[in-house]
Amino acid sequence: MSTRQRAVLLVLPALVPVAAVVGAALVSAVLLSLGLTPLVGQPELSLDAWRAAAGDLGTATRLSLGIAAAATVLAAGVGLCLALAATAVVRRSRLLGALAALTIPVPHLVGAAAIGLLLADSGFLPRLLGVAPGDWPSLVGGQWWVAVVAEYAWKESAFVALVVGSVLASRARSYDETAALLGAGRWARFRYVTLPLAAPALGVASAVTFVYTLGSYEVAALLGRPYPEPLPVMAVRLAGSIDLAVRPQAAAVAVTTAVLALAAVLLALRALRRLSAWD
Amino acid sequence: MAAGRRRSITAGAALLALAGCAAPSSEAPEAADRPWDDVLAEADGQTVDLWMYGGDEAGNAYVDDVLAPAAAGLGVTVRRVPVADTGDALDRVLSERQAGVTDGEVDLVWVNGENYATGRQAGAWLCDWALDLPNREHTDPDDPLLENDFGVPVEGCESPWHKAQFTLVYDSARVPEPPTTLAGVLDWAQANPGRFTYPAPPDFTGSVFVRQVLSSVAAGPGEVPLEYSQEAYDEYAPALFDRLAELDPALWRGGETYPQSQQELDRLFADGEVDMTMTYGPATLTDLVADGTVPPTTRVLTLEEGTFGNASFLAIPSTSGDAAGAQVVADLALSPEQQVAKADPGTWGQFTVLDLERLDEADRAAFEQLPASPVVPPYEELSQNAQAELSADWVGPLDEGWRRSVLAP
Repeated sequence: MSTRQRAVLLVLPALVPVAAVVGAALVSAVLLSLGLTPLVGQPELSLDAWRAAAGDLGTATRLSLGIAAAATVLAAGVGLCLALAATAVVRRSRLLGALAALTIPVPHLVGAAAIGLLLADSGFLPRLLGVAPGDWPSLVGGQWWVAVVAEYAWKESAFVALVVGSVLASRARSYDETAALLGAGRWARFRYVTLPLAAPALGVASAVTFVYTLGSYEVAALLGRPYPEPLPVMAVRLAGSIDLAVRPQAAAVAVTTAVLALAAVLLALRALRRLSAWD
Repeated sequence: MAAGRRRSITAGAALLALAGCAAPSSEAPEAADRPWDDVLAEADGQTVDLWMYGGDEAGNAYVDDVLAPAAAGLGVTVRRVPVADTGDALDRVLSERQAGVTDGEVDLVWVNGENYATGRQAGAWLCDWALDLPNREHTDPDDPLLENDFGVPVEGCESPWHKAQFTLVYDSARVPEPPTTLAGVLDWAQANPGRFTYPAPPDFTGSVFVRQVLSSVAAGPGEVPLEYSQEAYDEYAPALFDRLAELDPALWRGGETYPQSQQELDRLFADGEVDMTMTYGPATLTDLVADGTVPPTTRVLTLEEGTFGNASFLAIPSTSGDAAGAQVVADLALSPEQQVAKADPGTWGQFTVLDLERLDEADRAAFEQLPASPVVPPYEELSQNAQAELSADWVGPLDEGWRRSVLAP
């Protein structure tokens, strides 16, 4: 048995359940969206569900990608700063790291409820500042989805910080000191030592954040608005319709989301392979 | 390669398994016709999972503290399963039906008309049992609310639990001279920008409000046919959407967005951001006033032309393995003792489905001695000129039309 075959065998126990569960779910969603497994009536191959959903699909896709991109950029930026601060050799940096790590076990649903209580127009913050609900900007349920992006950015920045921080903590210091001894300034050390070391981890964490945000429902549902709606919210609304004939449309939206997420993962993997080629 | 073959086998097996489950028949199965004593005997020792909306504290307390102990006396254990939305229970039943399960997790569901209609569409409810319950004799057989649920015939496929009336609620301190008709409410909203809004359909309450406006702009109750047809929709819906689109800029946040649920609207009302809210279950108001969530000056707005009324029901899924126990619980829930306990505003305050004329002296006296709620008027007053709900077929097109014409024009 070659090493390659053994490696494949070792991966199988993890791979098979994932492939079976995700594969079965995706296949059943595709079949439902094509009218092959209806809840009522005769199975019949048709694109009706896709056609019916097409009108809102474009808006929903753009909105979902926008929210995911904004949240990812913010989370990556804040997370990188947190990681740098937490691994820096200064007092209280450990405390900062611990505080960031504390955010991770908070479920998104709880986070969303907390952000809602804080930022809503009759929430804690406007009350604290003495701003009347009418004068407070519509952060929750507003046009720019500020509360939704803020929640994802807050929660995911902690995740990014954890991943990037662990890489930096184990590898960056010795390189950093060497560079300093060779006379590299602060900026040069960050630009040519720390950032390249952190980039692969930052890329992976950002890709995970992007895909998670793209497919997640609860935060956008709690802090969003009824129209326009991101893909997962649209899928859940259609899936809950009192007309069973609408459910295939929900499956079509879910399949679209899955395809987008898959494309994002593949793109990220390709970019990462190039990025970590020096390693 | 081994992995490739394994993967294709897995995928093939998944495909086969899925192709094997074609849509189950949409015929509703019927309960066996047998004496009540047999049902009681079979129910003894069964556990009934009652799936119901879990967001109503008073309702949860009633089921746990009043209904469940009484059922235990009959040998049936009632396990309350709280759900965020009744549709979740239905989804569970539908997937159980697709998987061919006969001893499912859901034995009894507190359903509203929309979910009942959806379940009937797929044959998800057990039929031909509710009319045979012994306590059914206390209801009026000609009561229109118990004959049809959202335009779908009840036909013994669900057993009545309580009655509800769509009501508008206002703060009398902020609206000293409330309007008396729905048209008046809309005019009032227009004259007081930012002080009114309604939940965005497909939220249940928002959807009812839109239908109520439909009935109002169509020159009054009874004008819009209860049965849905494309012609009726084309005739009446445009005026509705025109009126609501005209109202839109005068709503909360300039109509730029809407609350997503009744709870969100209630919160706006409680925070003083709007002056009116609305509900299909006015029973909860007594509690909300008592615990200070809404101001003590909160009052119910009765409309001259009346509002939609309906009854909510208990339905048994066709996948239930404890259908006998579920029938016993549904019968118990219909008994005068349980109905009077539930109607007490201190317990849950839900309006009874029983016909008081058909009760014996003692039971009728119990109903008449119930304390009055300081906020919610008695059912007779609320349900004055009550209008029959439009059929469930109206709901989808109206909700969708509202999204297209008012929310995202």
